[in-house]
Amino acid sequence: MWWVRALLWLALLIVLLALPLYLEAQWLRAGEYMMVGAVGAIGLTLLTGQAGQLSLAHAFFLLAGGTAYTVLAGGQEGERNLVGFNLPPLLALLGAVAITALLGIAFAPVAGRLRGIYLGVASLALVFLGLYFGQAAEGLTGGTSTGRAPEPFSLFGFEFSNEGDLEILGVPFRQSERVWYLFLGLLLIAFLLALGAVRSRVGRSWRAVRDNEAAAAVMGVSVARAKAGAFAVSSAYAGLAGVMTVLWFDILKPDESEFGTYGINVSIAFLAMVIIGGLGSVPGALVGAVVVNGLPQVLALYSTKLGWFTGTGEGAFTPVLISSFVYGAAIILVVLFEPGGLAAIGRRIAGRLSNPARGRE
Amino acid sequence: MRRWTVVACASALVLASCGTKGGGGDEGGEGAGGVRTGVGVTDSTITLGVMTDQTGPFKNLSTGITHGNELWVEDVNAQGGVCDREIKLEIVDHGYKADTAKTLYPQLEPKVLGMVQLVGSPVTAALNSDLEGDEMTTTPASWSSELLDNPYLMIVGTTYDVEMIDGLSYLQEQGMIADGDTVGHIYIDGEYGFNGLRGARYYAKQHNLKLREVKITSSDNDLTNVVTGLRGQGVKAILLTTTPTQTGSVAAANKALGLNVPILGNNPTFDPLLHNSPAAGALDNLYVVASSVPFSADIPKMQEVARKYEEAGFTEPPNAGVPYGYAVAEVWGTVLRKACDNGDLTRSGVHEALQQTTSAETGDLVAPLDFSKPGAPATRQVYVAQPDKSVPGGMKYVKELFVSEDAKTYQAPHEG
Repeated sequence: MWWVRALLWLALLIVLLALPLYLEAQWLRAGEYMMVGAVGAIGLTLLTGQAGQLSLAHAFFLLAGGTAYTVLAGGQEGERNLVGFNLPPLLALLGAVAITALLGIAFAPVAGRLRGIYLGVASLALVFLGLYFGQAAEGLTGGTSTGRAPEPFSLFGFEFSNEGDLEILGVPFRQSERVWYLFLGLLLIAFLLALGAVRSRVGRSWRAVRDNEAAAAVMGVSVARAKAGAFAVSSAYAGLAGVMTVLWFDILKPDESEFGTYGINVSIAFLAMVIIGGLGSVPGALVGAVVVNGLPQVLALYSTKLGWFTGTGEGAFTPVLISSFVYGAAIILVVLFEPGGLAAIGRRIAGRLSNPARGRE
Repeated sequence: MRRWTVVACASALVLASCGTKGGGGDEGGEGAGGVRTGVGVTDSTITLGVMTDQTGPFKNLSTGITHGNELWVEDVNAQGGVCDREIKLEIVDHGYKADTAKTLYPQLEPKVLGMVQLVGSPVTAALNSDLEGDEMTTTPASWSSELLDNPYLMIVGTTYDVEMIDGLSYLQEQGMIADGDTVGHIYIDGEYGFNGLRGARYYAKQHNLKLREVKITSSDNDLTNVVTGLRGQGVKAILLTTTPTQTGSVAAANKALGLNVPILGNNPTFDPLLHNSPAAGALDNLYVVASSVPFSADIPKMQEVARKYEEAGFTEPPNAGVPYGYAVAEVWGTVLRKACDNGDLTRSGVHEALQQTTSAETGDLVAPLDFSKPGAPATRQVYVAQPDKSVPGGMKYVKELFVSEDAKTYQAPHEG
């Protein structure tokens, strides 16, 4: 029943396309943040789930992608010694993705030699390298004290910012609405490419390497190449997510401490998305991103709207606090009761619907 | 399967039949008392926003500031409010997370006239372009002159760079340093540290000081090796733009290594809790420069705020955030009254009133402020204080409000 599935995806797409007409700016922003997470999580699920390589370096590639875009699209600023190339934003975006992919390949010699938790720890080093790089390379990142504003994205003269008056069906289209469509387009491309990779020869070689390197080599898969390829692809996804991050924040600001926008906490959040969604599942990564990146935002927005938890004193329950509890509980519940993640639940439901007899077993 | 198709179509239809969100642009208009009003102002209330950190790393200070804001709101409403309107606060917590703040902002924005409090340098950076686009006058809980790039940010107090310049000239005036000396500066990488460093660099250039810069991160808590290094370079004074814990470590090492040079710190380097730390005995060389007073300062207005704090029954131990929060709100009161007199309580009206504010008084909680010069710090005056366990608040003034010659001629990064 492939057409039912296709129809459902199509319906989802139509709903997503229509949302900016109905949702207010804050909900759109929350949704955009979920899409940023989704693009990054797809990259990580390919690497960790499909190719079996644990990586905690995702936040580093996020920073690298964001910086690359800002530098490529940005202008030279002599006063602050900022480097810029004034490229059109689309070229800058593609350039940022290419640069992060190359960085991923550069890490391949390490990735090829290490496995499991050792690779995870080695990749963690990149996050700290990123912390240092962000602070030291002021000419590129603008430094921790002020950061650097990225050039707003534009496509064929259409600005994804508050520039100009645009109204569709009586709804003013400002930055939030425009960026929604940009991110949706990028996510769609990222999603389809990932599905293609998983279903093709590339994906099969990743899974073969993941399951048994010796067996994969015997079957004619170049293990080193498959591993390096997976790392490059995953880094490129993280790089794209990084570009989306700086566009979403309207600023590239390197972290002042270990925890921040490009810190270890972000790497772990991506890992959580992939685990909640189900390792290796591309649609699962989408759901994982909705849970991890979306839940705190939506909870904060809802409770503020309804006037819940408005205490100001010590020990006051605030939405931010509650969302961190919910997020922690979600991970524990998934790992305990459904290690396959939400993707496994989804598959079971789908199986039950398409074949009721088998599903009931 | 057909069922699902039907559901999908039905939901599409439902969505399509609901009205879109468009229409109803609130352009503002004439309100009560012949005053033009806009977002966040009705005939009976003025709503101001507070985006604070109640759950993250700056929870203590932010809660103090929020309580200070709340105390002022109570006071001013008891006196009949501003412009015959009651002041209301809309408080949201972002937990020091820039992403949460970025989504909460569009929800808060249509409800408030301006923001009395915005905590967190990553948060402020992320919201910077939004604030400018919405003409939202905002008080960030940061004193970096780099922020003055945005004309809608109003910094209540002296910026870190100017504090450093004033402090260094105090040291020189007291004969503790001389032209040509070597001076060490330990600073945290980031908005705060860089801004302090900027002031030290300026002063060093004016007076041929050899500045030894040491960059650290906010989590480095043992600075003995740094101080040892500075001793080797023969420094005559150590400048700090650090956290209180780091100040304690430097002070203790300064004493233990027999260096015993004066230590000069920006406002946030001192916390009364240092008197209960192992470094308590080593604080006699510490000089702190600040434009706002500590919680138990010997100033009538401060004592009044302290009494009200106690009466309000807040359970948290008070800190310097309380008088600062009160003072900020007081400045807001001055600006709002001016906007009211001008007959324009819209956001642009508030911004205009801010630029006309040349002498905001806070009963000496903060040095008098002048917001008329865009890009320039609102005041260049500071107190110099020294830790003293015997006085309430743990600090005694060694020099009353003053401004040095060098600070007067200093040009802030976005001035002019």
